[in-house]
Amino acid sequence: MLPDASHPVWELIATGERPLESRKPTVNLLIHSNKLSYERDQSPANVRQIAEKTHHFFSQYEVLFPAEIAQILR
Amino acid sequence: MPATISDPLQTISEVQAAIAAGERLFLAGSRSALSQLPMGNWVGGTISYFMTGEGGLQAEDRVFVTRIPAFAINVWAEDYGPQELARIYRDAPAHGFTFIVLPAGTHVHRLFAEQAPSFDGFLMRPVVGWVTGVPVDRIGLDSPAVFNGRTGAVLEDRCAALHVQLPPNKMADLDIVNIFESADGEVARFDETGFHVSQCRIGGKPANLADYICENGISTEFPLVADYNGTSINVSFQKNDPVARTVDLFAPVFPGVDYRFAKPVEDYEGAFARQIAAEDCEPYFACNCILNYLYGHLEGKKTGCITGPITFGEIAHQLLNQTMVRLYLRDIG
Repeated sequence: MLPDASHPVWELIATGERPLESRKPTVNLLIHSNKLSYERDQSPANVRQIAEKTHHFFSQYEVLFPAEIAQILR
Repeated sequence: MPATISDPLQTISEVQAAIAAGERLFLAGSRSALSQLPMGNWVGGTISYFMTGEGGLQAEDRVFVTRIPAFAINVWAEDYGPQELARIYRDAPAHGFTFIVLPAGTHVHRLFAEQAPSFDGFLMRPVVGWVTGVPVDRIGLDSPAVFNGRTGAVLEDRCAALHVQLPPNKMADLDIVNIFESADGEVARFDETGFHVSQCRIGGKPANLADYICENGISTEFPLVADYNGTSINVSFQKNDPVARTVDLFAPVFPGVDYRFAKPVEDYEGAFARQIAAEDCEPYFACNCILNYLYGHLEGKKTGCITGPITFGEIAHQLLNQTMVRLYLRDIG
């Protein structure tokens, strides 16, 4: 079960403080996109937006990325 | 139907019959071949190069056919001009995927390459496809095109899309195979997004990319490689002009991204075979890059067991270069 969108883990992923290792290009494109967005704008509003997008992504693709979900739940 | 089962490279009359029978198709073929097809529920783009079960080949009178599976719930063709392209991910089915083709060297191609990562819905809805082209000896003479079979339109500056809605027990999963990896050289960074570059920073110092390539004897057969959280993303060289001191690329570079020159690859066929051999299932669709075909001398050679069009740019969410793209339709319960 994924943590809900308000859980702090999503903001940690958004800022890169919680790195995610993946062999899946789709996941890595997301993390890279998050990194560029965070480097451009570190405001709390943008961090929340990245966090919500990341939560939405993993909610949608939960079945495809079990190894990455396990890292999020760790 | 996996891309490797039966012979997907078909005659024009076979494809005409499939369209007449109401099949829903994603097609790759020469302009001459695609122009002979009737209207129907299909989308296609111009290309004359293919990975086949017997190896790479060029054919003007064959069409590479990807059949939309019968289990797809809904399939519809659309085309998008530069003003409409930003909504392509929003138009894509909430559960499914979208095939697209873009004509090489056009405004809509450049727009997608530079801006797709900022479009609403990027990564949330899988978009996969390729950039259309012409035979290499006709570059600059003929124009790449895309076809919307629903309307019968032949389009030279629009993106054609085939949206495919999947049932709840199937999910689209995109993957890429990149035989290139970064060498241990200095990092190049760019201040602006673009296909045409001159000034950059290399090793933290201001530099001219064209000069750097010449002074260091770097082969432009091998791409720049960026590390996207562990996935290597290539940007290939189109032309290095040492007089104008400019470099043209087949995909844009982006600010904030670290690029390195690639390690040379000698044996493309072997490199693909090694990466693909580990796979435990076959993709539904795949495409590979014309530069791999040309530089790797892949005519008559196989790229593992994978078949598909050989294209002027590959799309897996965003534009890629010198990369094999694969689409899997996973069973999820």
